[in-house]
Amino acid sequence: MSEEQASGRPPKEAIERAAITFRWDLDKTYLRTQFESLRQMVKIPFEAGSDKVHLPGVPQLIQALRRCAAARAQRPFVFFLSASPPQIGNAIRQKLELDGIDYDGIIFKDQLRNLVRGRWRSLREHLGYKLGELLESRRLGPAASREVLFGDDWESDPLIYSMYADILAGRLTAEATDTLLRTLEVERGAIARVTRAVEALEEHAEVVLRIYINLEKRTPPGRFHIFGSRLVPAFNYFQTGASLFEIGLLDEEALPAIASALVDEAGWTGDRLRNSLDDLVRRGHLRLSSRTRVIRVLQRAGLATPAPHDAMLRARLRAAFERLQARWSRTAGPVDAPVLDYERILREWAGRGE
Amino acid sequence: MPRIAVDAMGGDFAPEEIVRGVAQASLESDIQMVLVGAADKIQALLDAGPYNPELISVRHCSSAIGMAEDPREAMRAKRDASITVAARMVASGEADAMVSAGNTGACVLAAAKNFKLIRGVKKAALASVFPRQTDYPGQDMFGLLLDVGATIRCDAIELTQFAVMGSAYARRISKVASPRVGLLNMGSEESKGGDVLVEAHRRMKSLPALNFVGNIEGNDVATGKADVIIAEGLLGNVVLKLIEGIGEVAATVATQAAQDNWRWRIGMAMLSTGISRMRDLADFRTYGGAPILGFESLCIKAHGRSTAPAVSNAIKVAAKAVRDRISPEIAETLAQIR
Repeated sequence: MSEEQASGRPPKEAIERAAITFRWDLDKTYLRTQFESLRQMVKIPFEAGSDKVHLPGVPQLIQALRRCAAARAQRPFVFFLSASPPQIGNAIRQKLELDGIDYDGIIFKDQLRNLVRGRWRSLREHLGYKLGELLESRRLGPAASREVLFGDDWESDPLIYSMYADILAGRLTAEATDTLLRTLEVERGAIARVTRAVEALEEHAEVVLRIYINLEKRTPPGRFHIFGSRLVPAFNYFQTGASLFEIGLLDEEALPAIASALVDEAGWTGDRLRNSLDDLVRRGHLRLSSRTRVIRVLQRAGLATPAPHDAMLRARLRAAFERLQARWSRTAGPVDAPVLDYERILREWAGRGE
Repeated sequence: MPRIAVDAMGGDFAPEEIVRGVAQASLESDIQMVLVGAADKIQALLDAGPYNPELISVRHCSSAIGMAEDPREAMRAKRDASITVAARMVASGEADAMVSAGNTGACVLAAAKNFKLIRGVKKAALASVFPRQTDYPGQDMFGLLLDVGATIRCDAIELTQFAVMGSAYARRISKVASPRVGLLNMGSEESKGGDVLVEAHRRMKSLPALNFVGNIEGNDVATGKADVIIAEGLLGNVVLKLIEGIGEVAATVATQAAQDNWRWRIGMAMLSTGISRMRDLADFRTYGGAPILGFESLCIKAHGRSTAPAVSNAIKVAAKAVRDRISPEIAETLAQIR
């Protein structure tokens, strides 16, 4: 195991590949969509782009991901995948334009066709649909591109994205995928489509660097331990940004932009930023040394006040200890490509939000 | 927004219920909270439920004082106990107030060791809330009794200061413009109770800032005749424990009777809604906790048996007390009296 893997970071060469793809879910990941009541759901098709509300910090994050990729001489791709019908596509495209988001593709679920053909189960079933679309998009997309996936805790994004990553890595075979999807009672047509896509994969590689799950519903983060360290449950896009900064996908310029959006749009304070960061450290998704760097960046941007002297000293000592520990220990830290126990995942996650 | 240091390791159900209470408060308010205690245990508990990380920070410390430990001995032996660290944070200005459901003696000692007494205050007092009958519309269903154990014996000046402090607290927290203050005594006549109580009565009566209603006898404690009841620590503690004990005995007797006799069982079943409503009204969890008054800094002592809702409410009480400037108000009132 390399030192970078041992310390929880993806292998350096993974980031240095020629292309990088960022795949985004839309509702509850990019947009603050309200569909908890029938009234809210009925309103959605009639909304214009200007009525749609994004989650604080997310446009700045996508813009920064693109800019930083280009700065690393990587070709960035941004794709959106939604389970919403294409009828709301115009409003979504308007919204993305208003937010200044450049994207390379956007996929909607053709619910009208499902309705016309009487595919009632397909209307509600997202797992097979999303997995199929992800694999199809991968087949058509840039070869050898590394990927970062963004979803939320409302439906089955953690399971879908983990399966997708393991299929691409060759850890889930067509047969194993088929069995899993049958256990999950996915519609037969969708299973066949996914299985065909898995069989058609010509090569396997550790493609997915990270999976970020926006805890929009405030699902307890402990519930995601079963998905391993590749999946990072994040309460906000500042936490996501800090993690991406640690793995080298964002630079120092990006973090103040995301943090400022949270301050301006959601009334955040320096305390909130600092607490968010510390939460990520305590949950094991950010190293103390990275935390210290992020705080320094925020202080330079005037977004965080210096902590009390003794607290700062303690944090520095802990960070130094952590660096030494990482140097001496060969096995410390989580690995990035964990072997997931899908039987357990199915027991704990099957049917969530479907 | 106030920042409240919460002793995560103190209480019969700590750290589980304390951490859950903080998590609950983080979803219901915008109060900044610092959980003081074993960081790994705290994070494991946070991980298990919903919370808002933006409002919660953790200060690690390696030891805690148990509920049954001798406070003095434990404070000496465990210099970085969670309750002491929380008090130090308040004293240094890192937090605006603290909440603890832990060992009461240790809580009082931690405050005494780290907080400054308000200028002119001779002794601090530990207050407690208790359920009682209401006597007028808008009256709080909880009365305030102080002192319940920070002192043993007091002189007349100290008791008068307790009255001023309790009145200021009740005015802000119970939203009663002019809380009724009573002096716990063995008779309603001014001459009863010995020299100290007679002198205390005279002093309280002479203060226009106090709505003093005179002496309160034991049978009036729970009637709502006074919103704030003043006693020296020994007596206050006996009364408080008596109230709690009677409640527990009544519940046990009724349960036993219902088990032994079918008529009682039917009767209890018929009264169950009313009993449950009474229990809800008198539930200490709705109040959260009561303060140690007399210090420049604020400490809210939650009940030792506090579960998450009580802890959450205690944090809200602490934040409200900070926002309403309870301690400065007490200082100003005492300065006027002087």
